[in-house]
This record gives sequence, C-alpha cells and structure tokens, in this order.
Amino acid sequence: MPWKPILRQLWLPALVFLILLVSTEGSASFYFPPLTEVLGALWHELLHGSLVEDLLFSLRNIMAGLALATVAGVGAGLVIGEIRVLRLATGPLLDFARATPTVGFVPVIILTLGIGSGPKIFLIFLGSVWPILLNTVSGVRDISPAVHETARGYRIPWTLRLRRVVLPGALPQILAGIRVALSVAVVLMVVSEIYGSPVGLGNFILQSGSSFHVAETWAGTILIGILGYALSVLLLLVEHRLLGWYHERAPRARAPRPIPTESVKSNGVVV
Amino acid sequence: MVKVRLLQLGAFACVSALWAIVAAAGVVSPTALPGPRAVTVALGDLLAGGAFWQAVAETLRGAVVGLVAAIAVGIPVGLVTGMYEAAEESSRLLVEMLRSFPVIALLPVFLLVLGSTPGMKATVVFIACVFPVLLQAQYGARGVSQAVREMAHGYRIPRLLRMRRVVLPAAAPSIMTGLRLAATTSVLVSIGVEVLTTLPGIGHMIMESQQAGASARAYAYILTAGAIGYTITLLAQFAEHRLLRRRPPARAGEE
Repeated sequence: MPWKPILRQLWLPALVFLILLVSTEGSASFYFPPLTEVLGALWHELLHGSLVEDLLFSLRNIMAGLALATVAGVGAGLVIGEIRVLRLATGPLLDFARATPTVGFVPVIILTLGIGSGPKIFLIFLGSVWPILLNTVSGVRDISPAVHETARGYRIPWTLRLRRVVLPGALPQILAGIRVALSVAVVLMVVSEIYGSPVGLGNFILQSGSSFHVAETWAGTILIGILGYALSVLLLLVEHRLLGWYHERAPRARAPRPIPTESVKSNGVVV
Repeated sequence: MVKVRLLQLGAFACVSALWAIVAAAGVVSPTALPGPRAVTVALGDLLAGGAFWQAVAETLRGAVVGLVAAIAVGIPVGLVTGMYEAAEESSRLLVEMLRSFPVIALLPVFLLVLGSTPGMKATVVFIACVFPVLLQAQYGARGVSQAVREMAHGYRIPRLLRMRRVVLPAAAPSIMTGLRLAATTSVLVSIGVEVLTTLPGIGHMIMESQQAGASARAYAYILTAGAIGYTITLLAQFAEHRLLRRRPPARAGEE
C-alpha cells in the first residue's frame, strides 16, 4: 500500500476538518454550533431518532429512479444511436429535454400526484434519464465505423451485435452518463422531499431547520453530503470493475487524470 | 441539411401529436398534464404580460450574479492548482468531496443563516457553479505539455506572464466546456431555489400557477425554462466555435 500519495491527498481535508473543529469549539453563534455538537446530533439521531428511516427512504427512491432511468436511457439510447435517421431527427428535441430543468416539474408532479414515494421516483427518473440517454447515443456514435462494418459484414444478428459490440463499445460513455445522472438524482431527491414529504432526509433538514434545531439541520446536511459522496465512490468502483479493459488499453491517452463526472462531449449538468 | 431540418420538424410534430393524444385520452388528469393547445395559449398570454418578463429577469439575475462570481474564483484557482502538481494533489480529495455535495441541500441551512434573499440565491448558484469551472480550468492547465512547461521554465518567463500567455490559452477549450456546464447549472439552481422558497422568479411562478390550478400556465413556465437552458447551450456552443476557431476540431462530426 503506497502511503505517501494517500497522505499527500489527505492532509488538506484533515487540516480543514481540524480548523473547523477548533474554530467552532465553544462557539456561541446560534447558526454555527460547535462541530462536536453537530456530529453528536448526527450520531444521536442515527441511533435513537428516525434518521435511519429517512436515510433508507431517500436511498430507496434514488436507487429506484436511477435504475429505471438507466434501463430506459440505455435502451432508447442504443436504438437512437444505431439508427442514423432517428438520431438526426431527435437531436434538437433531446437537447431541449435535457436543458429543461426537472426541478420545475417538482410542484406540478407533487401537487397532482401526491407526496408518496411514487411521484418522487418518477421525478428522479425524469431528471436522470436524459444524461444517460444522451451519453449512450454519443457513445454508440463514437464506436469506430470499422467495428460496425465488420460486425455487419459478418452478418452478426442485431441482438447479438447490440449486446456484444455496441453496448461494450458505448459503456465508458454510458457510465459517465450514469455518474452525471447520480448527482441529478440526489438533487431531485432533496428538492422533492423539501417540497413535500412526510419522511426522507430532505424533510428532516427542512423540519429541523424550520424549528431552529440548528445542530440537527447541519447534521442532516452533512449526512446528505456523505450519501452523495458514498454513492459516487460506489459507482467509481463499479466502473473500475466493468471498465478494467478500457483503462488498461490506452495508458498513453491517460496522461492527465480523467475528470470523473463529465467527459468533454457529454453535456452533463452537475448541480 | 434541408432534409435533416425536415426530419427534425417531423419528429417535433410526432412528439406534439403524441402529447396531444395522451392528454386528450385522459390517461393522466389534466392538472398533471394539460394538452399542448392549452399550454400554447397560456404561453401566448404570458408573453404579452409583464409578470412573465419580470420572473424571467429575476431568475436570470440570480443565475448571472452567481455565475460571474464562480468564474472569477474558479478560473484563477483552477489554473494555479493545475500548474502545480502538489497543489492539485493536496486539494484533490477536498474538491472531490465538496463537488459531489448536492448544493440544494444547503438551502435549509442558508435559509436559517442568510434568510430568503436574492443574495442567498446568488450564493447557492455560486457554490454550484464554481466546481465545474474550477475543475475544467485545472484539467486544462494540466494539459500543457511537458516540453512547453520546461521551455517556459527555461526561459524564466515570469509566473504571471506564463499563466496568461501559456497556461490560459492551453486551457481555453477545457475552460469553455466548464463555462457551458456552469451556465446551464446556474439557471437550473436558480429555478430550484425559487421552487423551494418565496423568492420571485420562474420557479416561484411554476409553483404559484400549479397551486392556483392553472397547470397550463405552469407548463408554459417550464417550457420557458427549457427554452432558456437550450438557448444557453446553443450560445455557449457558438461561442466555443468562435473562440477556438484557430484549433482543429476535436473530432470531425458527421452532422
């Protein structure tokens, strides 16, 4: 285990954490309680409060919405990417859909469909399907024409071709799209729960904020941050498993560290 | 080109027809999905009134103020940390963690600390936009080739000059991508904040219209938001083309 690079990356976050810990120690400010108190509140709520329930509710919605979006986005993206006419025809429409802020749909959906879990999953799906779809289309497009011609020349049946040629070829871009979609999903989870929900992390921070339980508000906010970070790390691990071949293939193209969220082509939005 | 445009018009017509059929069939209640005709009429009414333009201006103001601040901070910090490997390595984990934080979750805290003010909206936009700009600038600055870097060093080119004439041009394409991402994000966050607070703007109008039972008007506002986002994307692409003309295109597209 190489310790030096880890230390070199770790010292600044550790320092920031220490500074926060020391500077807020004994803080009398109403809005910035001591960090120890915030962490204590987080610990207490997780153990004795209903925070675990909130966390699971939010997590389940994100997972369900993202899974639906992945299936729909990759499926539609493969078809649109493969068929040139379809791709040309739908281009501006998809760009428009992608540019439409899904947060705008939050009042419409929640006020008409209710505050349950279903509308939230639908909203998460609606927001995260576009980055996945567009990245899949551009991933399919980027497969070298020679590969395509060869697969066609050998008359490989189209189902097999989709599964064994097109899907793996577009996989790096698809995964980049899912990573963008994940951050969109977390945002929509929070917004839809703040807007109207009896449970969930968003509801927790809203409730404790409006009843001026400042330490709890900070604790919930930190927990959402941890959730977002943990999910993105998890996705990176999955990506490493799936894309081992891709990273091994082109070491010379990897001189600068590749940016994790968006490849330059994916017009992803990170909120 | 004409054929492509025709195809796109056809696809647009198909989607509109599908929308009209779904709305007319009554599969979903008309408050959840009004028909395209009702939405068009509502949009026409809005365009003629003053409240609409005021809402658009409010949303854009919050977005622009936050975005400009994010650019002013993000580009210099990104370039400097990109120039020095030690700085990049030290800040990597911290930036990673901060970047993956869903900014909108800070809203309840900000409501407590800053209150429901336009400044709060701009602050949230700033936090959301600074990371894409910073990371893309850093990425671009790291792309300066070793040979160029050594030459600039060998000729003892002063740091500021090196940053302005060597690193900045090299990072420009990457920075433009960051700006495009941040510009779309800024409007999105601005609207998101408005949906959740009482601050005026498009997001607030969507909520108000829907609560008043005028879902066609709410949809008209959503379409407006989409049009703004789409326009920003197109403008950013155009600017990218103009600014980076001297460079060969990254890839020869077929369209």
